[in-house]
Amino acid sequence: MSITFKKVSHIYQKDTPFAYKALDKIDIHLQQGRMTAIIGATGSGKSTFIQHLNALLLPSEGSINICDREIRSDEKPKNLKELRKQVGLVFQFPEYQLFEETILKDVCFGPKNFKVTQEEAETTAKQMLQIVGLNESYYAISPLDISGGQKRRVAIAGILAMNPDILVLDEPTAGLDPQGAKDMMKLFKELNTVHKKTVLLVTHDMDHVLEYCDDVVVIKDGHIEKHCDVSSFFQDCEALREMGICPPAVIQLKEQLQQKGFAIEKQALSLQDIVKAIVKEVKQ
Amino acid sequence: MNGISLGKYLPLDSCFHRLDPRAKIGALLMVMIAIFLPAGFLGYFIIGASVLVATYLSKLRLNFLWKAMKPMLFMLIFLLIVNLLVIKEGTLLFQIGSFGIYSGSLVQTLYIVIRLTLMVIITTILTATTKPLDLTLGIEDLLKPLKKCKVPAEEIAMMISLALRFIPTLMEETQRIMKAQMSRGIDLEEGKLKEKIMSILSLIVPLFVSAFQRAADLADAMEARGYVPSQPRTRYKQLRMQKKDYLFLIICLGIIIANIILWRLS
Repeated sequence: MSITFKKVSHIYQKDTPFAYKALDKIDIHLQQGRMTAIIGATGSGKSTFIQHLNALLLPSEGSINICDREIRSDEKPKNLKELRKQVGLVFQFPEYQLFEETILKDVCFGPKNFKVTQEEAETTAKQMLQIVGLNESYYAISPLDISGGQKRRVAIAGILAMNPDILVLDEPTAGLDPQGAKDMMKLFKELNTVHKKTVLLVTHDMDHVLEYCDDVVVIKDGHIEKHCDVSSFFQDCEALREMGICPPAVIQLKEQLQQKGFAIEKQALSLQDIVKAIVKEVKQ
Repeated sequence: MNGISLGKYLPLDSCFHRLDPRAKIGALLMVMIAIFLPAGFLGYFIIGASVLVATYLSKLRLNFLWKAMKPMLFMLIFLLIVNLLVIKEGTLLFQIGSFGIYSGSLVQTLYIVIRLTLMVIITTILTATTKPLDLTLGIEDLLKPLKKCKVPAEEIAMMISLALRFIPTLMEETQRIMKAQMSRGIDLEEGKLKEKIMSILSLIVPLFVSAFQRAADLADAMEARGYVPSQPRTRYKQLRMQKKDYLFLIICLGIIIANIILWRLS
């Protein structure tokens, strides 16, 4: 179930004067079961990249291997539905895709498209609504009558109900209040650890990346700038700033403490680690 | 969605782009009248030649005009079939079973084809060389005399410019929702009729919801900035007719007159 990109390029409006190369010969291998953050400035090609994962966009050049399927630029793929069931893609502001009369029906929409029976669809839908934190009292309400944060939960439940192996999320916490964003990230972490789903998410929040993710992919001007695990990623503040990334608050604190003369190891990446290091030093 | 050239503005630099929008709208109306005068093929030749010159002067490529024509092809074929079946004038050309094909029907169809082609080309030239906002400014100015008989010229112009402004936004929105629902497993190409209807419903409902939401937000934003419909408003961009604009109109008037003469002589 791992994902491999081989020399993938994507050109929008190919063969017209408006042609624009959004991805440039991308090579990447994403492991199964990891929670990976995709970061990069606006217009760097993040959205184009993730839309290749369930073949909404097809590569102009190169090939992609996902879930034992190969998608190549030189042949038109068939039966993409199967792939879209395995790779659940949640767009930015997914609340705008709700349309059914009731929340339960809307969550059932995905599974029913994949030929699941009504009863089964409803059972999964109820489970998923439970996971995203919406109880029975919400089942019969119109999805257009609830708050923005709740709508987003419904939309995410709608994707989860398809039971994808890989979950891809485009800025899932954008526009949510801090508590709502935190709950959302915890939910994704739980899906990753408990339900064993491979999670990829686009985000701008470095605190979230540090706290919840395993790997980081940096995309810049249509190519992969960096791909490594979170702890090595946040160890070098200079490199982060060079890429135009503002380090998370904890890392900034560590940096300032180091400047004041505290000897904190490079590997210390959480508040507890830092506190331990200080306590140790004060005791000495 | 990017293959559409009907109504698309092309940011080129030509003498047509620099003409006053009012002159261009006026010219469009005049040439339209000329097109509908029954002046025979010679009349169409005059108009066609002028349109070709106009295309050349506006630096548009024939390929672009052809793309604008494409959606009309189906209608033209339909018209041809209807005409062949209905019109029984002129000489009988040949017979298929009990159906006769008459020369009159071919001539009639050819007239319609030429008329429609010319109409599409001149409107395409207008929209390709005039920014949508300039176009609405022109419409607003041209409707001004009608204000005396209580036609809300400014409001109409505002409505047109808002509608034009939101076409690309709604197109983008449609694409976005389509992709989102495709990720949820809808299939617009395959599947049974019932499934297809359901798929379309899953696009239309969110699109309507967001369009109404946008409209409400926009109305609030306009009110917050002090927009009151019936109040007189000043305008930053003033349109001024110049010599070349009058010259352009005179040429178009010439085309009408030529066609009237041809019509009367025939």
